[in-house]
Amino acid sequence: MIRRSRLAGLLHLWPIVALVLLWDVWVLANGYTSIVAPRPWSVINDVVGNPDAYAIDFLWTLAISVGGLLLGMLLGTIAAVLISLWAPMSAVLTPAALIVRSVPVTVMIPIIARVFGYEVYTVLVVTVITSFFPAFVLGLSGMASAPASSRDLFVVFGSSRPASLWRLRLPYAVPNLLLALRITAPLAVLSAMLAEFLIGQQGLGYLFIVARSYMEIDRAWGTALVATMLSVFAFLAARFVERRISPRFT
Amino acid sequence: MRLRSPRWLNNTIGVLILITVAELIGRTGIAGRSWPPLTDVVGYLAEPVAQATVLRALTATAASAGWGLVLGIVFAAIAALLANFIPVLRPGLDRLASVLNAVPLIALAPLLITTVGRESTPAVVAALGVGFVMFVAFTAGLAGASATHQDVFSVFGSARSTTLLRLQIPVSLPTVFDGLALAAPTAILGATIGEWFGAPRGLGVLIVSAMQNYQVLLLWAAALTAALLSLAAYLIAVRLQSGAVRRFT
Amino acid sequence: MTESATDTIQSGGSAATAAGSTAAVRPAPAEAIALRNVTMSFDLGRSKRMTALEDFNLSVAEGEFVALLGPSGCGKSTVLRLVTGLEQATSGEVLVEDKAPADLAKSHRLGVAFQEHALLPWSSVRENIALPFRLARRAVDWQRVDELIRLVGLVGFEKARPRQLSGGMKQRVAIARALVLSPDVLLLDEPFGALDAVTRRRMNGELARIWEEQHITTLLVTHDVEEAVLLADRVVVLTGRPGRVRHVQTVDMPRPRHADITRSAEFRAVVDHLTDLLDVDRKAE
Repeated sequence: MIRRSRLAGLLHLWPIVALVLLWDVWVLANGYTSIVAPRPWSVINDVVGNPDAYAIDFLWTLAISVGGLLLGMLLGTIAAVLISLWAPMSAVLTPAALIVRSVPVTVMIPIIARVFGYEVYTVLVVTVITSFFPAFVLGLSGMASAPASSRDLFVVFGSSRPASLWRLRLPYAVPNLLLALRITAPLAVLSAMLAEFLIGQQGLGYLFIVARSYMEIDRAWGTALVATMLSVFAFLAARFVERRISPRFT
Repeated sequence: MRLRSPRWLNNTIGVLILITVAELIGRTGIAGRSWPPLTDVVGYLAEPVAQATVLRALTATAASAGWGLVLGIVFAAIAALLANFIPVLRPGLDRLASVLNAVPLIALAPLLITTVGRESTPAVVAALGVGFVMFVAFTAGLAGASATHQDVFSVFGSARSTTLLRLQIPVSLPTVFDGLALAAPTAILGATIGEWFGAPRGLGVLIVSAMQNYQVLLLWAAALTAALLSLAAYLIAVRLQSGAVRRFT
Repeated sequence: MTESATDTIQSGGSAATAAGSTAAVRPAPAEAIALRNVTMSFDLGRSKRMTALEDFNLSVAEGEFVALLGPSGCGKSTVLRLVTGLEQATSGEVLVEDKAPADLAKSHRLGVAFQEHALLPWSSVRENIALPFRLARRAVDWQRVDELIRLVGLVGFEKARPRQLSGGMKQRVAIARALVLSPDVLLLDEPFGALDAVTRRRMNGELARIWEEQHITTLLVTHDVEEAVLLADRVVVLTGRPGRVRHVQTVDMPRPRHADITRSAEFRAVVDHLTDLLDVDRKAE
């Protein structure tokens, strides 16, 4: 049993182990000093040895990304509902969503920063915008996935529009919205960090730029490592939620 | 029977509304001085000096994004084929792809700047972003042939490579182009992130420096250009996708 | 068990009718469903039109079971969609209980079951059957729901979710859902079309038994001749493209009809006759 699960673990984790080893070999082979590229062990040491140096910024970025993620998804879902209730809304919302969808967040952040100022909530606005689109589009297609026969049935039973929305279309959208959550979770962390990198006064993105400017190489790489873990964690948590709830709606 | 305006008309009206609103916000100044009227931005772009600056940056970003797109697609295709032919590698590659996707691209910057240098970082970051999206699209697409189809092929004793060529690849095309529609803007996102970390030129550089130096018109001009580039890439991919759907489903 | 169910169903039915129509003083119309000179055509684009029904007339009396029989694509489902109010006729008149079908839908007095069971995958059997109460914004009468579960023979499966049920069981749930509000009119569009032949026969028997207890005005759309003859008081045979009434067959075999009736000479003769009519139709095309 144990051997088998270990084997399965190896099958899944070999690339990560390989990456860390490659990193080390690559540093040694090129003879980089620790200023150019630190070895993995000294980076891990810095993170494990100074948890309080990372803790506040970690929690900050976590809070901002989760908050922005949930708020953005909520707004995206509301926009999808508005379109489904009132078709002409799509005239404005569809192109707007297209712009949000295709314009890189790196282009939006500087403008948002200029317009909203170098404030904490500017970072939040950025994560909200990032999280908006997937929920909007996937929510819309999820609501449209309710079978025609079910929609006919609701009409014949004299269902009101809100009831059809609440009892038919929104439940059909749940698996898609959870998919949006899984897609968006790492993106929200990325955009929060990008915004912090450029305009923040706190958070992992800010810690990263500070460490870089003081040439604290272990700290800078450590921030990257912590951010990666946060992002992977966000992804895994979202996937866990999706796997738990999605089957109930299909 | 029913009065319904066609989609393109709807969308055109929507775009016009958005442009008008943006213009009005600029004219009235309710969003402050950092939001100029769009007409001013366009007027600024008409000046030869500004035009040259933005164009130079645009060329650099488009080149990085283009290279990133190509590299990402090639690596994703190789990885997906490996996973297809050597199933043992599949779980690990899946995991690697999802971890790589979860790695905030910004966290890779220090690594990339030391390894590939400032010049190439934008293309490589773009390739990483594209690579994940396309890997997922390729693997999902190759696995997308129905069980019945696969049974037909194996009953006829088709070789694996034949099945790949005659069944899996055609079936996968719509999904792959779906992935491309996601990947095209991702390439530009990746390129601009790479540029933030000190590439010598590019729209990302221009936008950040304009922001830091309060050059509002330049900021908006560069941002609009990047937005249009991204939008164009996306729309082309979407067009290709609908073509693929029509042909292969 | 069935008897007590019958009682409550009927009392529930009359209560619903009394509550539903404020103009209860007026005598009940003898004609429950009426289609008069109905033409239905669809735009196919590029100035092409497809005429599904032309000058179509149909009348279903109160408490009558009528089956619409015809080859696929003959417009019989269009008739049903007109009666449910899901489609509007291009010309002509469609009345259900002397009203526009959409009005009846709005007052929650139609019951319907389609070929696709259209059950909500996240809801239990019990919740699925209770759905019409919720859509009508009435308090759910759980006693009534449980009676219907008994009536369609799903006791013990109340908590099951649709994907845990067989095809036949899903259709039973759909039928129970159609009946739960004691509708004035029951509309069935190939409700057993997705089932295998054996299950289909069994479900026909079940539906005959259930209908025996209620005598709700019913319009059934089917392409299965035996199903139509077994269940209906009258079978209306349609021609295809555009749909017109080709033949009306009154079936006056005594009720309750059991499955063994299908072996009787009288039954076979009617079935053969109608099958021939359908076949001639196909040759004519």
